[in-house]
Amino acid sequence: MLAAGWFLAAGELWDTSVPADLARPTLDESDYFTATQYDEAHDYQAFLRITDLLGILAGLAALAFFALKGASFARESAAGRIGTGMLLGMLALGCAWLAQLPFGLAAHWWERRHDVVAQDQDYVDFLINDFLSVGGEFLFVSLGLLIVMTLAGIWRRFWWFAAAPALLIVMLAFAFVSPYLIPGLDPLRNERVAADARALASAEGVSDAPVQVQRVRELTSAPNAGVTGIGPSEKVIVWDTLLGQFERPEIRVVLAHEFGHLGRQHVWKLVAWTALLALPIAFAVWLATRRHGGLSEPAAVPIAVFVVAALLFLVSPLDHAFTQRLETEADWIALEETRDPDAATRLFQRFSAIALAEPRPPGWADLLLDDHPTVMERIEMAEAWRVLRGSTD
Amino acid sequence: MSDGQIRIVSRDDLERGRWSVFFRFFLAIPHLLVVGAWGLAVLFMAVINWFAILFTRRPVPGNMTVHYLRYLTQVDAYLNLAAQPFPGFGGGGSPYAVDLEFPVPQEQNRWKTAFRLVLAIPAVLLGTAFGAAGVQAGGGSARVSLGLIAGAAFLGWFASLVRGRMPDGLRDLIIYGVGYSVQVAAYLLLLTDRYPNSDPLDPDYGAPARTDHPVLITSSDDLRRSRLTVFFRLLLWLPHLVWLILWGIVTMFAVVANWFVTLFAGLPAEGLHRFTARYLRYWTHTNAFLYLVSNPFPGFGGREGSYPVDLEIAPPARQNRWKTGFRVVLVVPALIIGGALANVLSLVAVFGWFTGVFIGRMPPGLRNLGVFALRYQAQVAAYFWLLTDQYPHSGPTLELRDEAAAAPQAA
Repeated sequence: MLAAGWFLAAGELWDTSVPADLARPTLDESDYFTATQYDEAHDYQAFLRITDLLGILAGLAALAFFALKGASFARESAAGRIGTGMLLGMLALGCAWLAQLPFGLAAHWWERRHDVVAQDQDYVDFLINDFLSVGGEFLFVSLGLLIVMTLAGIWRRFWWFAAAPALLIVMLAFAFVSPYLIPGLDPLRNERVAADARALASAEGVSDAPVQVQRVRELTSAPNAGVTGIGPSEKVIVWDTLLGQFERPEIRVVLAHEFGHLGRQHVWKLVAWTALLALPIAFAVWLATRRHGGLSEPAAVPIAVFVVAALLFLVSPLDHAFTQRLETEADWIALEETRDPDAATRLFQRFSAIALAEPRPPGWADLLLDDHPTVMERIEMAEAWRVLRGSTD
Repeated sequence: MSDGQIRIVSRDDLERGRWSVFFRFFLAIPHLLVVGAWGLAVLFMAVINWFAILFTRRPVPGNMTVHYLRYLTQVDAYLNLAAQPFPGFGGGGSPYAVDLEFPVPQEQNRWKTAFRLVLAIPAVLLGTAFGAAGVQAGGGSARVSLGLIAGAAFLGWFASLVRGRMPDGLRDLIIYGVGYSVQVAAYLLLLTDRYPNSDPLDPDYGAPARTDHPVLITSSDDLRRSRLTVFFRLLLWLPHLVWLILWGIVTMFAVVANWFVTLFAGLPAEGLHRFTARYLRYWTHTNAFLYLVSNPFPGFGGREGSYPVDLEIAPPARQNRWKTGFRVVLVVPALIIGGALANVLSLVAVFGWFTGVFIGRMPPGLRNLGVFALRYQAQVAAYFWLLTDQYPHSGPTLELRDEAAAAPQAA
């Protein structure tokens, strides 16, 4: 019954407003990109794919090693059961970070070499920022362990069932506060773009959501935008690199895409999806740790962290498929709202040229590493919309 | 002394002449001129000695640097009010109220000599925090604060003018600071290759150590450090930071409530006292962890006896209503010293981080300095938060009670 409910909920979340019978043409990338552009993007992304994948595997190997040896670090704690568990959880993540660091450095070198990352972002900056970003992970794992170890101390056999809703609350809290933690935000000052944003937000029924511009120009040349927050805290964030490099119709497509996320409650869906995945993962952790005294014991924490990381890696294709569906739906809404497939196509072409996004990466990489549809899939979506709706306005 | 360490010794009786104190800086000007001029000669001598030690492992014969350092110590102590008599010129002759003990000259290590300037960097940095001013930079801003010695002398000047007597805590703090600075100078001037010892328990402060304060610190730390937890120490502290903030907000209300209770009843409320004391203990545990003064990850409850670096906080006692009423003003001098010690504590953490990561141990001198700084800051907080109306003791001598307690057992 639990499994049936799980699949039912997953099915509900999986559903999108993209027409099920939409026939996407298979386009030839050479019609949209020059051979030089294609090769450059391919070479750039191929290296990053390797460093990403090796980084993930190195992190998993470090966590596996820590699962075997890490319990001995309990002697470095004067805290009680849960505090010691927090320490071990944080150290596990720290070891994974150390193992991944060389690959991160290699990727940073590669991005600098291709001017995707600003040249003044040297290796010391990278190291400091990367090190400090681990602090957020430490806080998150500490809070997570506080919750699950408390639950495991109360319900030794069924804590995993209560853990998913408890983690859901935590994720909602994080989602709510995250917009307030983003640095370098300015109001959208371009009047014409702001007028476009108001019109699009109104059409999507999210007029209350503000659009803010994040200053990232000194860090990267890559363009980007996104939504963050839930309820009263939700907002659209556009990088200044996007506003500076793209035409107004293309920016309209981006804004419509982001308002599509908000209008279709994608942040809520994503949180619910993560909570849904958390349930079987928590069950697996319970199975894996029960021979070590259960997750109420700090010694089981290194094993639990490894199991969670390994399972997250294993379900990443499913997870990415889900997020790609949400992105596809947002693309579709953007086309419906702007009725401008040419602008959408130009946007993706230019995006690929600036950020060196490979138009059609290998299938395995799309499955394992990408949470967005490929550039060609997005262009094909624009063509499919043109065919379905007949013409542009 | 056989370990090659220069040691500062005090025989000062704390009595001060008000006129002499009032004009202390002007009175010291002739000495400062001599120190400056003589310093140039000593510097030149150090260059010669550098070559001499590299070739023969010994400096050239002569006592010029020894006399200079003695003189420098005497002038420094006089200028900063750690001593009363006007020092003689020359650094020789009979012992001064604050003086130096020198080890028997020994052969020096050539490698340590060759790279002396590089090796001295950590000691010089720590010495600057003891000196006239400390600079803290970070987050795109920088602030300049009084160094330990200058801060203590500044406050001691007012106290001596009013009372005709130097507070023993401030005097001892200055002696400790001067002693360390002189050790750094001796190391740089190649008088010894013994690295400066930052242990605040090492100087001979003269008078018996004070042990009477309602807030005392205990340390059973074994100096061992886990490399992995040291490496990630700052980040591992983050959950504690969150808890410190949340608990701190509640404690702030408890302190305000206790202020009214203490003002009207003359005695803090026991429940509020216990609550605040527990928070202060937790604060000390987490800071000991953050600044590498101790090794284990602390618990979140601030329970007494749960951590190697711990606080002993006396139960609530009657407090002077005037001191309670004006506590916010009265605490300011202690905050000045506390600020200087915060700079020192940051350096303890930085140097402790490197030694912890590379050799898995904390140098005892640095650890003891950290314990002293934490104790003082805990006393400042205890005073501010109405756990006691006894003023924080700025001298490092309170920690000597552990040594005194251990001495009979060792014998």
